[in-house]
Amino acid sequence: MSSGARILALVTSAFGGGGGIAQYNRDFITALSACSSVGAIDILPRQRSAEVAQMPARTRQLDAVHDQFAYSVKALEIALRQRPDIVFCGHLFMAPLAAFIAKLFVSKLVVQTHGIEVWPRPTVLQRVAVEAADLVLCVSRDTLARVIGWTAIAPERVVVLPNTVSEVYAPGDGSALRAELGLQNKTVLLSISRLDAEQQYKGQDRVIRLIRRMRDQGHDVVFLIGGSGDDQVRLETLARDEGVAEHVRFLGEVPNPQLPNLYRAADLYLMPSAGEGFGIVFLEAMASGVPALGLAVGGATDALLEGDATAASDLESALAGRLAAAKPDPAALAARIRARFGRPVFQDRTARIFARLLAADMAIAA
Amino acid sequence: MCGINGIFAYQTAASDPEEAELLATRDHMSARGPDGLGAWRSPDRRCALGHRRLSIIDLSDRALQPMTSEDGVQVVVFNGEIYNFPKLRAELEANGRRFRTTSDTEALLHLYAVHGPDMVHHLRGMYAFAIWDQARGGLFLARDPYGIKPLYTANDGWTFRFASQVKALLAGGRVSRDPEPAGIVGFHLFGSAPEPFTLYRDIRALPAGHTQWVDAVGPREPRPFANLAAILADGARRPAPLAELNARVRSATLDSVRAHLLADVEVGVFLSAGIDSGAVLGLMRDAGQQRIRAITLTYDEFKDTSEDEGPLAKQVAKTYAAEHILRRVSEREFRADLPAILAAMDQPSIDGVNTWFVSKAAKEAGLKVALSGLGGDELLAGYPSFRDIPRWVGWLGVTSLPGLGGTLRLLADAFSPGLHKRDPKALGLVELGGSYPGAYLLRRGLFLPFELREHLDGELVREGLRRLRPLKRLASSLQPDPGSAIGRVSALESANYMRNQLLRDADWAGMAHSLEIRTPLVDIATLENLACVVPLLSAALGKRALAAAPARALPDEIVERSKTGFGVPSWYFATKDPGALALKKGVASRARALDVLKLDQPALPSSLASAP
Repeated sequence: MSSGARILALVTSAFGGGGGIAQYNRDFITALSACSSVGAIDILPRQRSAEVAQMPARTRQLDAVHDQFAYSVKALEIALRQRPDIVFCGHLFMAPLAAFIAKLFVSKLVVQTHGIEVWPRPTVLQRVAVEAADLVLCVSRDTLARVIGWTAIAPERVVVLPNTVSEVYAPGDGSALRAELGLQNKTVLLSISRLDAEQQYKGQDRVIRLIRRMRDQGHDVVFLIGGSGDDQVRLETLARDEGVAEHVRFLGEVPNPQLPNLYRAADLYLMPSAGEGFGIVFLEAMASGVPALGLAVGGATDALLEGDATAASDLESALAGRLAAAKPDPAALAARIRARFGRPVFQDRTARIFARLLAADMAIAA
Repeated sequence: MCGINGIFAYQTAASDPEEAELLATRDHMSARGPDGLGAWRSPDRRCALGHRRLSIIDLSDRALQPMTSEDGVQVVVFNGEIYNFPKLRAELEANGRRFRTTSDTEALLHLYAVHGPDMVHHLRGMYAFAIWDQARGGLFLARDPYGIKPLYTANDGWTFRFASQVKALLAGGRVSRDPEPAGIVGFHLFGSAPEPFTLYRDIRALPAGHTQWVDAVGPREPRPFANLAAILADGARRPAPLAELNARVRSATLDSVRAHLLADVEVGVFLSAGIDSGAVLGLMRDAGQQRIRAITLTYDEFKDTSEDEGPLAKQVAKTYAAEHILRRVSEREFRADLPAILAAMDQPSIDGVNTWFVSKAAKEAGLKVALSGLGGDELLAGYPSFRDIPRWVGWLGVTSLPGLGGTLRLLADAFSPGLHKRDPKALGLVELGGSYPGAYLLRRGLFLPFELREHLDGELVREGLRRLRPLKRLASSLQPDPGSAIGRVSALESANYMRNQLLRDADWAGMAHSLEIRTPLVDIATLENLACVVPLLSAALGKRALAAAPARALPDEIVERSKTGFGVPSWYFATKDPGALALKKGVASRARALDVLKLDQPALPSSLASAP
């Protein structure tokens, strides 16, 4: 047994899981495992995931337990065995359980908040759990403001740890894929997200409504939509109604290894979403050298610091402006993204945050 | 006395501080510092500091701020005065530190270099400052024990900002204006937003007597270094004999006034017809000040009433051979200044107008510094609350069974519909009067918590009360227990009404006229010296001792004069109806509570014209 801090991570999904939250949890736990003060990390996911070939050092992911009651029992069982120094709660929904375990085993409690789950007012149990936390991590400034808005926690315990972006997203030649897709000489707009009928805020519909006008202005625009889900039918219908169906292409689920190349094939990553806790896809696009445009709503403002964040009412003019402007130098854009959000930055910040958490005196530097 | 501000982009993702924001925030505070300005950036450009200077000690440009240590490791921006600066300087020089200026600002740099964050234990004064520590890559902030000088912070998760004023932070354009329910509810309860809350969610006061460290992770929780209740508790453990009261009060207040005269410019004094300012004036004379100009406000509306401070103040000025400036404020001037008053008011306040005019008069006289008797009532049991609150707690303490008071209130309201509107404080007596925090809220409350839903949105009230926790917050002023009834009220008054209302009003109203208001009766050393006599005090004893503190005691007419407060006839200006204010609920409810308890208070409406 290592002498460092023992961490019990209660997460919805992490290694082998899909989606932004799983990605964040992977990035975070990987960074945490590299901290010298960390001894062992036990991860208990809720959702089943793909096989994982290799886990970070000192990290173990247990079998997923979906049932809420069974998950709670399992978490308690692990805690009883592991006696965690820190309980890391990867989602607000599990904060009451995490707070209970932390209280029971006198562990420090860390609650991770992502995005829209903190937009509505939480339940009393969730709020009380967050207020009991030693540290609340937020992916963006917007998430922090919302958490501080509904908790009575000391604001200094609420800390932003933004998303990071993998090195696989880097500038490159996307012309082969463009040729393969028949997109030479086209202006390629790209959006990647789940197409969830319950998450219609991603904004592909806003883009579809603008395609006709962009084309009328002389831009030979094609809109690529990556991702799958039950909202696709609505978007397809909208594209037909707008008379732009031939300029909108649904790519379906895009496997992770193909994403970098897809980004590189685009001229603009365009996702006018009104519900981003952060929007890691903006980072992935810009790290791939592609400019990004979205709405200045929620956490997207942070992700779009090197891109364009606009009000929904100004989307058309912002898009027209971006299409008329010269494309930024891909290497310079990617470098700026890495300087702000690269993995070394994320690793360093994670280490500093946990050093402070584990320090005996949280109040002031020694 | 100055205006300070800073921006620290501590998160790697954050952009460097913008020059335009730094200067917009700084220059919003131009009235705080008309004599000089400066800006500084760290070598990596991640921290920027701004300063507006009102020069009072070392008037030369070498004392301009931000001021960098000789080795370039620390940079300070400072608002306030360090009254034990000469002693500190001598000690530091004896230990090999070399000064380049005669400014107290430089002492902060040396003290930090020697003692680090513990430097605050060496300071006597009013201060709010920030020191950028290049070696440790962080920002150290501190605010004086009483909270005389303001310091507001805003942290968005990427960037930390601070300034001497809330409105200055907003002027920078990068701080959210989203409302803070606790600040709004607190204002309706107390007449001022209770720190650390402001009206804005993202702006908080660094609490009085706290330091804060901000590094690459972000701000750490503020850390207390001074506690008024603890000082009072310590005094209660070693009580002095009553026979020593007068001598101790004289010694402590003379020492404080002498310390507060430290300046390279003339120091004047605000003079009312009360004991506090009169004693301060007498002690200034005792301390050896040669030329003393004393300023008194008068209003025609108060002429030939007990509220008119002019005649008695004139007598006091004559007693101590001060040049007396009697400044008349007319209704016309009041109305003309009102927009400027509201603009200068950094946070909403139900008071401060009188301080505005007396500061204006001081500036007209060419003064940059004036002493004030503010704090005498809190230190020496001058308010009726020192008598009332222990009495209420004594009577009603037996009813403080959990839930009993609230139940009785609901029953009383059921049997006497409308009672909560007629006499809200009577209704709250049993619920609140049995504990010191509750009785204090009853005494000082503009509205009581159960009244708020009639005036504010229900959700706002619920959320505000939950975040503010007013009784718990008041109770924290009594940790540790000050050890005596008078000590408890002193701690409550000093850490709440005085801090959040009087001192804050003195800051914005004085600074709007580029005037430094010094408060020798609000001084941590003086409290330490007098804590051992506080348990002995009553209103008569404490204030009589203060009246006797100058070598030539205050005239009997001043000592015998009933307490009137520092009033403005604004009720009359507004309505022309002397009784109109009694219809205003908050003040009326306070008066009625007193009436219900059949205490011998002055009759309405004169008692309503000003805060107690």
